[in-house]
Amino acid sequence: MTHEQLMALLPFMVLATASIVIILLIAFRQGHTVIQVTGFLMMCLVIFTMWYVRDFLPQTIMPLLIVDGYGALFTGLIIFCVLVVGLFSYIYFEEREENPREYYILIFLSTLGAAILTISRHFISFFIGLELLSVSLYALIAYLRTRNNAVEAGVKYLLLAALTSAFLLFGMALIYMDAGSMDFSAIAQKLHTAEQSSPLFLVGFSLMMIAVGFKLALVPFHLWAADVYQGAPPPVASFIATVSKIGVFAVLLRFAQELHLQNNHSIMTIISVIAIFSMISGNLLALRQQNIKRLLAYSSIAHFGYLLVAFLPGNSAGVEAAAFYLIAYAITILIAFGVIILLSAKDKDAERLSLYRGLFWEKPFVAIVLAVALLSLAGIPLTAGFIGKFYVLMAGVQQQAWLPVIVLVVTSVIGLYYYLRIISTLFSDVSVAIEKEKKLHPFFYAASYTALVVLVLLLLGFGVMPATIIPGIKQFLLIGN
Amino acid sequence: MNYLFYISSIVAIAATVMVITRHQPVHALLYLVVSFLGVAMIFLSLGAPFVATLEIILYAGAIIVLFIFVVMMLNLGRESAIQERQWMQPKTWIGPSILTAILLGELLVLLTMGGSAPMPQQTVDLKKIPLSLYGEYVIAVELTGFLLMAGIVGAAHIGRHKKKYLHRFLKQEEEAV
Repeated sequence: MTHEQLMALLPFMVLATASIVIILLIAFRQGHTVIQVTGFLMMCLVIFTMWYVRDFLPQTIMPLLIVDGYGALFTGLIIFCVLVVGLFSYIYFEEREENPREYYILIFLSTLGAAILTISRHFISFFIGLELLSVSLYALIAYLRTRNNAVEAGVKYLLLAALTSAFLLFGMALIYMDAGSMDFSAIAQKLHTAEQSSPLFLVGFSLMMIAVGFKLALVPFHLWAADVYQGAPPPVASFIATVSKIGVFAVLLRFAQELHLQNNHSIMTIISVIAIFSMISGNLLALRQQNIKRLLAYSSIAHFGYLLVAFLPGNSAGVEAAAFYLIAYAITILIAFGVIILLSAKDKDAERLSLYRGLFWEKPFVAIVLAVALLSLAGIPLTAGFIGKFYVLMAGVQQQAWLPVIVLVVTSVIGLYYYLRIISTLFSDVSVAIEKEKKLHPFFYAASYTALVVLVLLLLGFGVMPATIIPGIKQFLLIGN
Repeated sequence: MNYLFYISSIVAIAATVMVITRHQPVHALLYLVVSFLGVAMIFLSLGAPFVATLEIILYAGAIIVLFIFVVMMLNLGRESAIQERQWMQPKTWIGPSILTAILLGELLVLLTMGGSAPMPQQTVDLKKIPLSLYGEYVIAVELTGFLLMAGIVGAAHIGRHKKKYLHRFLKQEEEAV
């Protein structure tokens, strides 16, 4: 391996080291605060090294990895989400019944898996990254192991993830049988020379879509989403909603870009059918939901349906739209879960919608933050969610994928109903006080509130002035193309 | 030599179906051993003797022994000994034995007349495996290490017991420290 390749891999090595550092800290019997602060600094170090090695990109580390601007963009987004999730985790786990220390090891290992997914160009690294992500998630979901919901959610995720991994492997094996290689670019070459797409490749890709669809909670592989979001601790649920999905979507997008899948008519039909059903059922299931965690789960199904519309064109405009949409979505969902974490009582998470009745009169700051996040999820102008949806629509219209675009517009209107329902609950007059004794160091509350403020400002900033970030995304995507 | 592949595949599938339909864990384990042996036979017929050996040593050997130890430790006492005698009826071991006998027959066929019928695949050289594992795929090996670490940390957390105190004085002492 050359010096340049090692430099390009440096951020990932630091990320891998983070989990080992945490293990050593546990071995030396350090407390939660030390571990938390060290983890935070390690993540900052990862971002710093990414900035430091930017001139070495793009680098291909044969045969498994490629570190280019695309990978750096999505890895950066993942690390940013982990920073915020880690911050919220402190106040959540400090007052819970379980020892929170192993939690950080698992979070960092899981992040490593997602980061590997964003830079993989080979089936082997794809599979190992995905397994690293999901094996850590099994334990993270069931982390509060004395709670029944958590164990149920963990087992459900374990069984389904193991089953879909088998589908993924079988799909990879079929494509390997067809193309004779597990390398994305070699498969692309083989597909290019063949006159027509072989049924083997089609079946293989469909089997792989089962595993990818499971991870992204797309219909019809969405059955786990609501139970897992409800049972998992809120920081872990926000981790699943952001880091895990960004990683898997990044590898799906890279695979499709490399193989020019948009030229394959039958595969595009499969994906648009999945997108349409995800948008419709996600929004319909969320309509009558009284549990805010389950509601966010259903809305995430719909949102990844929207994202697949940006996936359909397969050109650079679609990739930009998807990247912007993911950034806006990640920020929004982090805010929503951050509010849930702040409001959660010691033995029960704040998940019933009735708890939020009249929150504005009790805690105006938190209520406004949550309202902004929900408006962004609904795609109201002046928020980043609107710009994201606009970009996705534009990408879909350019491709003249009329049916998915029409479904997107109609389901967005349906979605508006339940987001506004929560907002009206926040501002209704009957007030139920949420019991919460403050005993932690005020610094961590201050840090969490600051994080929320920064996230809201980002959300509004990107919504009002999208020109500040879109050139950056374009520039990142150009590296290596 | 193709028919050897098909026979061992059918044996492996049959054994695996039996694994997931048995009610007693020990019976399921018996069939699991046969299933591993069948998979090893498939590898052998595909021209990968090293992987076949590993499959037997690691899966049919080490992991199954581990399973059986755990199951043995869970069943203690006189009652379980009587129960085990009831489980050990001929109908429970005759199935795995037949399947294993088929595999053994295949192996004998391979050993005695394997040279005459040419294999369609080329044999994977033993030297090539470590060279590619620690050569171009070294990152994958390292990542697999992290994967194992995730599994161990997760299992250790989920399976941890609350500390048991033998006496309340000991508990107070610990709290004072």
